[in-house]
Amino acid sequence: MVSVKWLEDKNFRTKSRKSKQLEHSCLFLQGMDFPIYNFSSQSLEENTSFEGMSCITGEEQSMLDAVLLSQWEDRMLKGYFKYDVTTSEIKVITGKMKFLSQLNEGQITDHQFKSEGKKLHEFYPLVFDCMKHPEELLFCLASSKKAKSELTPSADVPDSAVLVIINVTPVEYGHVYLVPCFSNKLYPFLDARSIEISTRLAAEINNQSFRMFYDCYRPNFSAVYFEACYLPHPLPVEFRPVSTFFGGGRRGIHICSIIDYPIKTLSFTTTHNLKILAAAISEICSHLEEKNVQYNLMISDSGKRVFLFLQKTCAASRAISAWECGGYFLYADRYEFDQVTEDAMLNRLSSFSLDDCDFEAVKQLCCSIASKFDV
Amino acid sequence: MSNMDSKLRLIQQSFNSRYSEWVREALDELSDNFTITDPSISGHPLVFASRSLLKMLSYSREEVIGQNGNIFQGPKTNRRTVMEIREAIREERGIQVNLVNYRKDGTPFWMLFHMSPVFGKEDGRVIHFVAVQVPITRRQRGNGGVRLSEEASGLNEIMFGSCRKEVDTNSVLELGRVLSSDSSSNVLDIEETCEASDFEKRRAANVFNSILTVLTHYSESTGRLVCGKRCSVPGVGYISSSLNISLGRIKQSFVLIDPHLPGLPIVYASDAFLKLTGYDRHEILGLNFAVLNGADTNTSSEYQIQEIIQNEQACTVRIVCYRKDKSSFWNSLHLSPVRNASGKIAYFVGVQMEEECKNMDRHGLSPEMRQLSTVGAVKVAVRSLSMAAGSSKS
Repeated sequence: MVSVKWLEDKNFRTKSRKSKQLEHSCLFLQGMDFPIYNFSSQSLEENTSFEGMSCITGEEQSMLDAVLLSQWEDRMLKGYFKYDVTTSEIKVITGKMKFLSQLNEGQITDHQFKSEGKKLHEFYPLVFDCMKHPEELLFCLASSKKAKSELTPSADVPDSAVLVIINVTPVEYGHVYLVPCFSNKLYPFLDARSIEISTRLAAEINNQSFRMFYDCYRPNFSAVYFEACYLPHPLPVEFRPVSTFFGGGRRGIHICSIIDYPIKTLSFTTTHNLKILAAAISEICSHLEEKNVQYNLMISDSGKRVFLFLQKTCAASRAISAWECGGYFLYADRYEFDQVTEDAMLNRLSSFSLDDCDFEAVKQLCCSIASKFDV
Repeated sequence: MSNMDSKLRLIQQSFNSRYSEWVREALDELSDNFTITDPSISGHPLVFASRSLLKMLSYSREEVIGQNGNIFQGPKTNRRTVMEIREAIREERGIQVNLVNYRKDGTPFWMLFHMSPVFGKEDGRVIHFVAVQVPITRRQRGNGGVRLSEEASGLNEIMFGSCRKEVDTNSVLELGRVLSSDSSSNVLDIEETCEASDFEKRRAANVFNSILTVLTHYSESTGRLVCGKRCSVPGVGYISSSLNISLGRIKQSFVLIDPHLPGLPIVYASDAFLKLTGYDRHEILGLNFAVLNGADTNTSSEYQIQEIIQNEQACTVRIVCYRKDKSSFWNSLHLSPVRNASGKIAYFVGVQMEEECKNMDRHGLSPEMRQLSTVGAVKVAVRSLSMAAGSSKS
């Protein structure tokens, strides 16, 4: 019934490529045209500090925000999602933490990996078959030397870009995967560049609802990807009291531990240089991976605050998603959704959490790495 | 009329429609620092700033009126505190926090920020937010930015001790900066945390009461009384402060229709819609979209709109619309259901696209993209509404 005209001038020549190559390179995208959003050189400059960037939440919707929302809504209208995520009910779980829970019956019915009696959701693998579903790629993000950010409606995918792909079983409105590609290859591990690009993206979108997530445990897709969506409310962890244990340095890096929260969490902010903060966080994360500590990241407040959730070192292949760490839980079952209590969620989170002793070690690690960068 | 002019006009009206003539002078007689903002105007701007505040921050009145309160924030302003203020606005309640603000010359300072809404007595709507700022003169260690009523404020474990012990000597020297201010720091350096004294907190509350007294007095003469606490429940179709603020960021022409009310009235109209059609807000709210119909409007299109709403589907219709001055335009109207946190439909959004204006906007976005981005932004904004609480253990 919809008569919205979208840009019809996507022309692509299909080539036969095995989807297995997806795992390792972006060459599969050659020959296809997509909208490309180019960050201005100012956005990605070495010494762009927060003094330059606006601390002010824009009075107006930003261009990138408009691009993402319009593309997502366009796919909604065309029926590419398994369900309308806005029909699912969200509620606050009674208690001090004000955890959030969502009844999402649509996700489980189409999930490839049927849960074995588990009530909460496991990870969703990023399955992007560009040959069958090129429409799932909304647009690409790339850098440019120009002074202003701009959108090119249709162009070749550049060598280094971030692919923005819809999640057809979304957790909230606007749920996308962000897959960085560098020199036509997908990233095998998290590094400073991908964290920095993600933070820049959040800053450029400049929408308070927009949050980005990263799970280090990705059983089905080994390349690095972030997820993002528009959450109607800040997550409960964002309101918890904090205690600063590193700060006051020249580069303005601040690290706090979140107090009175069932999963060990740190929060990073900077008053100065985004690039330096991203580099520090990425080094901390690579140390964590070396030591087999599982972690999740959440980027909130338009890129100004990064949360690091610390999970147990685990031999068993169990982990929870970043939004669960933040206090947002999904249920596929009405009964479970109605019965959930704060105590149950406190137990769930603490069962995954890093213990006190290891947490102290992580904090010291953060101090020593951050002080290296904070000169 | 330019955008700035019309915004200033709205700001003037914000006061003039509610309070009688000498209210500004009366407020200026108070020697305290405070601002008054109006959430129903796009951008949630300041509509009043006291003389004391302007002096303290070294701004002129013209520089400040019409801006959002966050112009006084800067890099050292605690982000969590800013978020807590935003939550208080969303919940339409008061809040008292310690906050770092910046003067015009960029120097930061700590102050106690005490904000509280002012409600319309009869309709229960939030008319203004009043924010009192009391500079904090005594420096105490606190938990920087944590809401003072936060019950966990007692848990102020500062990990410096344990952190320093195990780390090598180089890092100890670096960490030493955390506790004491760097001797080579310039005037822009500021304590990490600060907490207001009881005296300062009481002072803020008293100032608010004085302001409220003035506002109440001057609202009596217009017959549109205000009060400090909500006296009546807002009627159906009430657009809350935070929804107003979110929708105000969307610069396209759109309306919200409430499908649950008889007559399918318009309950929100964007500034761009008013500009496109030539109507004033009060002329449009409460009316059916058919108000834009005229001589050449196909009567079936009115039924079409009704049908779309009944079917709860998104759709685009092409209709002829008429402005207030009777001139007409072809409107590619896109209607979409918009759901809130309960998952049920709260509103329908109707986004206009004037067919004559087919050019790309300044960002290079096509009109169709703009139309869809409006739908998306409205969906995100409305999704935060009506979130139920509770775990039902029946």
